[in-house]
Amino acid sequence: MSGLVHGAQYAVMIVSSLLAVIAIGIWFERKFAGRMQSRLGPTIVGPVGLLQPLADVVKLLQKEDIVPKDADRALFDLAPLLAVLFSLGAAAVVPFSPTAVAADLDIGVLFILAIGALMVIPTFAAGWASNNKFALLGGMRAVAQSVSYAVPLVLVVMVPVILSGSMRVSEIVTFQSEHHWFAVWPIIPGLPAFALFFIAMLAESNRIPFDIPEAESELVAGITTEYTGAKFVLFYMAEYVHTLVGSAVGAALFLGGWDGPFKPGLHWMVLKTLLLFTAVYWVRWTLLRFRSDQLMDLCWKRLVPIAVGLVFLAAAWVQFVPGAR
Amino acid sequence: MTEGLQSARRGAIDPHLSIRHYDADADLMLLHFGPQHPSTHGVFRMDLYLDGEVIVKATPFLGYLHRGVEKLCEKLTYVQQTPVVDKNDYVSPMINEQALNMAFEKLLKLEVPRRARWLRTLLAELQRLASHLLWLGTFTLDLGGALGGGSTLFLHCFRERELILDLFEELTGSRFHYNTHTIGGNRHDLPAGLAAKVEVALAAIAARLGEYEDLSLGHAIFQARTKGVGTLDSDLALELGITGPILRASGVDHDLRRDAPYHAYDELTVNVATEHAGDCFARASVRFAEMRESIRLCRAVLEGLPEGPIAASKAVRLPTAVKIASGQVYVGIEGPRGEIGTFVIAGGDTPTTPYRLKIRAPSMHALAAIPYVMPGATLSDAVAILGSLDPIMGEVDR
Amino acid sequence: MAVSDTRRVLPVVRDESALPYEHPLYRSLLGVPGLSVATAVLDQLLEWGARNSLWVFPMATSCCGIELMSAAASRVDLDRMGTIVRATPRQADVMVIAGTITTKMAPRVKALWDQMPEPKWAVAMGSCAISGDFYRNLYPVVPGIDTILPVDVYIPGCPPNPEALMHGLLRLQEKIKARTGAPAPRDPVLAAAQLAAAIAVSSNDRSDEPVGEEQELLVQAPDEVPFTEIASDYDTILREQFAVGEFPADGAPIIPAARHHELARTLRASGYRQLVYIVATHCKAKALGKTSPERYEVAYGLRSLGKGSNVASWRVQLEPGASVPSLVGLFAGADFQEREQFDLVGVRFDGHPDLRRIMLADDYEGHPLHKDFPADAPCAPWR
Repeated sequence: MSGLVHGAQYAVMIVSSLLAVIAIGIWFERKFAGRMQSRLGPTIVGPVGLLQPLADVVKLLQKEDIVPKDADRALFDLAPLLAVLFSLGAAAVVPFSPTAVAADLDIGVLFILAIGALMVIPTFAAGWASNNKFALLGGMRAVAQSVSYAVPLVLVVMVPVILSGSMRVSEIVTFQSEHHWFAVWPIIPGLPAFALFFIAMLAESNRIPFDIPEAESELVAGITTEYTGAKFVLFYMAEYVHTLVGSAVGAALFLGGWDGPFKPGLHWMVLKTLLLFTAVYWVRWTLLRFRSDQLMDLCWKRLVPIAVGLVFLAAAWVQFVPGAR
Repeated sequence: MTEGLQSARRGAIDPHLSIRHYDADADLMLLHFGPQHPSTHGVFRMDLYLDGEVIVKATPFLGYLHRGVEKLCEKLTYVQQTPVVDKNDYVSPMINEQALNMAFEKLLKLEVPRRARWLRTLLAELQRLASHLLWLGTFTLDLGGALGGGSTLFLHCFRERELILDLFEELTGSRFHYNTHTIGGNRHDLPAGLAAKVEVALAAIAARLGEYEDLSLGHAIFQARTKGVGTLDSDLALELGITGPILRASGVDHDLRRDAPYHAYDELTVNVATEHAGDCFARASVRFAEMRESIRLCRAVLEGLPEGPIAASKAVRLPTAVKIASGQVYVGIEGPRGEIGTFVIAGGDTPTTPYRLKIRAPSMHALAAIPYVMPGATLSDAVAILGSLDPIMGEVDR
Repeated sequence: MAVSDTRRVLPVVRDESALPYEHPLYRSLLGVPGLSVATAVLDQLLEWGARNSLWVFPMATSCCGIELMSAAASRVDLDRMGTIVRATPRQADVMVIAGTITTKMAPRVKALWDQMPEPKWAVAMGSCAISGDFYRNLYPVVPGIDTILPVDVYIPGCPPNPEALMHGLLRLQEKIKARTGAPAPRDPVLAAAQLAAAIAVSSNDRSDEPVGEEQELLVQAPDEVPFTEIASDYDTILREQFAVGEFPADGAPIIPAARHHELARTLRASGYRQLVYIVATHCKAKALGKTSPERYEVAYGLRSLGKGSNVASWRVQLEPGASVPSLVGLFAGADFQEREQFDLVGVRFDGHPDLRRIMLADDYEGHPLHKDFPADAPCAPWR
């Protein structure tokens, strides 16, 4: 029972801090993108434009809620809720410090992968239920993309699992703090696995160069084409949560989580997560977009073979290098 | 129905066949792409029949911006027409004005002073540079999306384009619709110090062009999205009447600035860039080469700009000042999108207005390629192809 | 109204249907006693949010659309005030109508406007959106977007500078703060009547007589050197294969309709491979020649490639009702050109596989470039 209370406490804490981080994250992204594009970004609403995300949410919440004619009403309403739920779900097993974890499952890594794979359901549901051809095309693209990129994602996540010998995320982090961060040592397969994880994470969270389910220039707004007001806010939030949680998972599995010089703790985990989060936006505002068949090509012909190779290398490392585990 | 076929692709695709010919069960998705869509560059519509993501048939629809310009021109006198044609190809108004006034000058057998011809060359090349910058920006926007890397290059291109618009604003008082060319010359001479500012702007653009080239032509994703996409062979391009950078990217070495010189181009050397692949990448690299060439030509013009009057001796002030009894001419010049031309029949009821005026719009011929290049491409390619054709609906529909 | 005294505000007709949208929850909250203070604060908050996050749906049709893009670009940067451009109407608050709206486009604009969720505002950017600019008396143009939508802010200019657009959006913020609804759209029937009256007045004013001292630049004598330069190879073809001996002074050589297709094929084979133009003209009786009857003239131009490129042009004269052989078989580009000439002038092309209207709506009646079509033809505001 006390475990449940503990979990609930941390769940509330983690969710509320995630949402706060996202509000600032959106502001940060707009300023960051502005600077990359030699402009200023929001400056007028609130000090240095800090209240801009709040104004956007207040505005969006009071917009009329439109359900298109012949849309699948139940699915249309459910999809944004599920999107937020599933994107937040993975955060439950990510340890932000040795104690700050909502549920330290012994199959944590499996849970993250399973929840991540579920994200395809709200995305496709939104595309299907909207009764809009652009949304449907977006949904179809999302299914193909998520299912494909789940394969290299699962494979590269096996690398830290094999190296540390545990599926519990907190144990993987502890192992790294006792030995080395996996992104640093063993450099092969650690660093390539981390790079692959980053690429697969971009694809799973539909970020440029893999944002083909949204693809404004082709599909107007993809799966969210028909969503207005509050439901759009949920999708908008789910997108950021997905990226942020993905960054946190990456930080825990490859960058040693809360481990760091001077004084290990929560702040290191937050810093690493935000760095990865920023890197996602750096990539986003620099690169162009792939075509869907090129995306598949990259996944099945490049990433999957490499990921398989990395898993074997990790196994060989554990098997043949003395003192590896 | 086609005779003496020259292009294999034209034999393979008949755009007038019903969709039932392709797919008896009609089990395809019909997607109305436009007229209001972020990537249609205005109000252009195509009906795409999709098999999954692959386009089976594409039908273009025009006329959503048909404003009746030719009817308006029949109503207005020769002097009043310049501001009207500004709005046709609104990305290169300078060249529109030149094509129009050169036709009237030819009807009048009017000699344009040498300084005016050089000045027109300068304005045309600056405008070509501005137009290609806008093309590069919107093209990467199509490839990368408004909420991504595409918009970064887009905004940088717009920043450079503003430099040129500032020069035009100082020269003519307007950012956009200049009304600076008249029959027999130009209205505005270069104000003191503008030549130096042109040099500065050109230097800034030239310095940054390499960076943009790295971000686009040199970038792996850009290459993956454009190479082998939307291939247009030279025979088909010629049959369609396609001109300008698109024709040169298909391997036809043809540029009116060099081949039928006007303005000061007979006194300058124009290097014509050609590519042979005929795909979106080739079209992009031809336009990059043209930007460099425009910068070089602008500098050459500034160096050799002669002194003298900028308009023929008789100034045109009144709307009814120009009277043409009869005649029929066509004048075509090289615009950023190809041959912009004006066909005029003078005479008719009043000597001050044309009886018929037709504007040759290069973009309209470029859009005619859509039924031939789209089939087999994916929806993502459709956006890239349309962007590389660089249509401006103002001149297509007029 | 919280508008300063120095600014004159035109009386606005309050139309219930044009009042700002209110969420049903908000209405029910008002009924709870003691909540008025809370709702007043909430009201302020909602209004603050709506004002500071104006997402734009770009109804960009023409030149003004480019300036709209410039306004979003680095120099003016609409993102400073929280304005971003959304491609889908479902997530936009302000429709910026940037450019000319034609009768063919107007129903689409209306549909997109209806797809936007309340509360929503409309900004008419540029003189075309405001009044139709100099196209307003022409057959295909809507004389001002406010015959279709309620417009909140008008930004004059052709096109307005990006700074002007930003100023317009700031004025819209003031308007949202002051809670003034947009006036109802102009009555289309009334607008059409007003337009017709305006045209009647303006055509009374106008005369073709010159004002003040007339400056004659040059009057072209018809018997000078021909305007059409005929290259030597084209000249040979015309003389030897088509027995055209002398060329008219006022334009291109005239070829009988029966042989025009053959000429095009011959020219294409001898290097004139690029179709430059197809222009049809309706000539009234005695126009362009004192004795000539009513007829259609179709002018063709083909261009040779490479150095010394020139245009070989010819004309075909047709009686009313006659048709000319299509060139689609020879030049794929003739497809759109012939459709355009059919649409606007009314010439029929024999053998064209798909001779439909291209510029105007399929159910449009008449051919606007036909000389009997009135030059000032007020259209119905939108069809």
